[in-house]
Amino acid sequence: MQNRIRNFSIIAHIDHGKSTLADRLLQFTGALSDREMREQFLDKMDLEREKGITIKLQPVRLNYRSRDGQDYILNLIDTPGHVDFTYEVSRSLASCEGALLVVDASQGIEAQTLANVYMAMDLNLEIVGLVNKIDLPGAEPDRVKQEMEDVLGLEKEGILPISAKLGTGIEEVLEAIVKQVPPPKGDENGPLQALIFDSYFDSYKGAISYIRVVNGSVRQGDIIRMMSSGKEFEIYEIGVLSPYMTEVETLSAGEVGYLTAGIKNVKDTRVGDTITLASQPADTALPGYQEVKPMVYCGLYPLENNDFERLRDALDRLKLNDASLFYEPETSDALGFGFRCGFLGLLHLEIIRERLEREYDLSLLATAPSVVYKIVLTDGSEILVQNPAHWPPAQRTERIMEPFVKASIMVPNEYVGTIMELCQDKRGSFITMEYLTSQRVMISYKLPLSEILYDFFDALKSRTRGYASLDYEISGYEVSNLVKMDIMLNGEIVDALSFITHQDRAYYRGRATTEKLRKIIPRQMYEVAIQAAVGSKIIARETVKAMRKDVLAKCYGGDITRKKKLLEKQKEGKKKMKQIGRVEVPKDAFMSVMNIEDE
Amino acid sequence: MAIKNAKLKIKDCNGMGMYIHIPFCIKKCRYCDFYSLPGKNESDLDNYVRALLKEIRIRGEQMPAVQLESIYLGGGTPSMLDGRQLGSIIRACGDNFTIIPGAEISMEANPATLDKAKLAAMEAAGINRLSLGVQSFFDDELALMGRVHDAAAVRETVELIHSRGWENFNLDLIYGLPGQSLKRWWQNLKQALDCKPCHLSLYLLQLEEHTPMGKDAAQGRLQMLDEDEEWRMYNLAMEYLAERGFVHYEISNFCRPGWECRHNLVYWQGREYLGLGAGAVSFVAGSRYMNQPDFKGYTGALISGEQWPIKELERMEGRELMIDALILGLRLCEGIDLAHFQQRFGVDISSEYKGIIVQYMNRGLLNIENGRLSFTKAGYFLSNQVLSQFMD
Repeated sequence: MQNRIRNFSIIAHIDHGKSTLADRLLQFTGALSDREMREQFLDKMDLEREKGITIKLQPVRLNYRSRDGQDYILNLIDTPGHVDFTYEVSRSLASCEGALLVVDASQGIEAQTLANVYMAMDLNLEIVGLVNKIDLPGAEPDRVKQEMEDVLGLEKEGILPISAKLGTGIEEVLEAIVKQVPPPKGDENGPLQALIFDSYFDSYKGAISYIRVVNGSVRQGDIIRMMSSGKEFEIYEIGVLSPYMTEVETLSAGEVGYLTAGIKNVKDTRVGDTITLASQPADTALPGYQEVKPMVYCGLYPLENNDFERLRDALDRLKLNDASLFYEPETSDALGFGFRCGFLGLLHLEIIRERLEREYDLSLLATAPSVVYKIVLTDGSEILVQNPAHWPPAQRTERIMEPFVKASIMVPNEYVGTIMELCQDKRGSFITMEYLTSQRVMISYKLPLSEILYDFFDALKSRTRGYASLDYEISGYEVSNLVKMDIMLNGEIVDALSFITHQDRAYYRGRATTEKLRKIIPRQMYEVAIQAAVGSKIIARETVKAMRKDVLAKCYGGDITRKKKLLEKQKEGKKKMKQIGRVEVPKDAFMSVMNIEDE
Repeated sequence: MAIKNAKLKIKDCNGMGMYIHIPFCIKKCRYCDFYSLPGKNESDLDNYVRALLKEIRIRGEQMPAVQLESIYLGGGTPSMLDGRQLGSIIRACGDNFTIIPGAEISMEANPATLDKAKLAAMEAAGINRLSLGVQSFFDDELALMGRVHDAAAVRETVELIHSRGWENFNLDLIYGLPGQSLKRWWQNLKQALDCKPCHLSLYLLQLEEHTPMGKDAAQGRLQMLDEDEEWRMYNLAMEYLAERGFVHYEISNFCRPGWECRHNLVYWQGREYLGLGAGAVSFVAGSRYMNQPDFKGYTGALISGEQWPIKELERMEGRELMIDALILGLRLCEGIDLAHFQQRFGVDISSEYKGIIVQYMNRGLLNIENGRLSFTKAGYFLSNQVLSQFMD
């Protein structure tokens, strides 16, 4: 049985055609009829389709009759491409024996391609190299193959040229999977060990877990035990995704599928946990996953104060589907009750916020994002601060440290100077520069995480006409000269607007922030003073003048209905504001404090 | 000789208003977002008047008992109609409805379209109130707005009006023009007063984005005035006109005592009116209706007689009617009579909306005096802030 199974992922830099390739594989193997086909089939979330990106890993089972006449089961586990979701990629890779590496025939290798390939190599996966988009006018498949051989050590003869868009070379890819990716090697008769590699909450079936059976087998009606908690459940349904949920009687070693067991509490089916049978338990759990630490935090507050419990419930459910999400209740003087949430990056933050708003019908306010600072106090103790509101006063701090990353930036060599300038601006220090080919350079910089979170990637792209790619990993904490900037509205500090900044930038940031807020905060019945302060020192001040005009000059018979609609809209608009003291602040203001372009 | 507006007290009269829309203009003004047809095509005008006469007849058959307190010909540029056409329209109104003796019969006119003969024809038709679209007394401002007349035409027209003994006329002015100074605005007001009108409508320039001036403003070719400056202009008008004996009776309207525009009062007092012509709106029995807004559709439907070119815009009951009346009534400087409201809608506003009222009384925008709720002087220009709070 296992000899006929192949488990593989697709890894690629964002936009190199991963989801399109997955679409073609589904079509070619007949998993989907042409009628059922739609673009980015495996990207189920509206958000994924709108943004054209993959956020969640997604398993699917393909049945393929190879040229050798045998039928094979190919389990594809699709993965996200954005650096924020590297964690999802690692989970998916850990459930596979092989990976398809997709590289764009005109773009060549990019920073994340490298990171993903190294990850796959660390897991001893068989890598099948593909050069995609060979149909495009700018395609240089031979150059890119050479690059893949030089940089990644893949033999260029084995790299397949394909066009996922046109469906060119798809059969060769399937054949390569059958021939090159090794079958799984579990013990079908041993005690059950199945790894939960993802799960989500379905309001009818309860928690649905995606599993990879490593050893043994599991069937409907079995009593399973979660090895981390010891809790036991009876299986209601097991099945495979082909690509729709299809029930099967049993899943054995090497297979990938899903199971439901009426698990109502989302905490009872933790991603990375091992499932075994209560009747014949395994001795040890599978290695599971390294717990990921959030890189960036922000406060999420319901605009309607009584939505707090609904928000908690929504976070609980999302957490099931996204182990990297962290949250705990917090309160803000300005905003009331909410949650401090941790994310892998800003895209992750944005996506979670959008999912909460869309899937759970909440209206949320996000505060300015912050990294986690380490502060040594004068009494020698060390604290972690991920909410600027908890920043200790200057006289109590001995040393402040912030997280740094090692950033790898890959660019055509003519942009080296530009990139170095940008990195210097962002308080970076140069590590190395390496020529991957005569044209492409990998530059490494050490940068404060807080500097690359906000607009670094955009700046990188715009300064290199889109050619630069970025990957980064946390390198550790280092001492920095940081201060907390308070923002005051009419003399009152608004805790949710406070942020941390480097001392040298404080003046500029204070000025830019107050100016930005002046533009965002609409005129109100009273004048609003906006001030930025470090400690007790005010460094910038702006004023939103009192509203003078809000009138329909003309209103008579013909357009009363229309004018009333304007008034209704105006009232609706007020609901998108947060009342802080006497000041109405648009909910976007909190987040936008961070998006301040450097001059 | 024009009939001087009989001084019926506002509350004494309970007739309906009739609005008649004439959607033709010599040229569309650059700030205008009303439906109008440019140019003058004799046969179009004739067809339109034919359709209008038919509508008057049909409406009269439907509601034969209606008593009209006012008739208002607006546009567009109703003064593009000739004497014969005007006469036939007003006559048709009298034939199909009852016009209360002393009713106000108004017509809007562009200064460029009036001459002695036209005025005589208007008098003969029974028009007794004129609303002159002056907008400004300065040629550069008129050019900016794309008006077809110049300041000289305004003076000549006003002279003509006086020479024929008209007393009951209004001037429309627009303020807050890009580049307009407070002094310029004051000069406009002064010249308007020199024309000795009994009514002034002063409209703040508010541009819809799809109008030519709106586009210019959106794309930065025109710089709108700061709202502080706009407020100063409004405030200046309030002070100056009060000093010169004018009564401020609606957010944008001023008159010599007793010369309120009765037609507009019908709107603001939440009373019923019929709207005739393309795109005209009627308010009858709690519903607003709108005639088909385009010229071709409207005339085609009426002349062929195949369909009645009207649709319902909104139907209101109970509370919605009350809010409607509240929003309109508060536009009047005298505000609303709380007891009268309670009687009419069964709602005691002062307790029902206590929170809102107290909040805005504290901020100096609302006032309750002698059983009436009204805006303060400071409140008019911020009235949307308050009115939007009353919306459901």
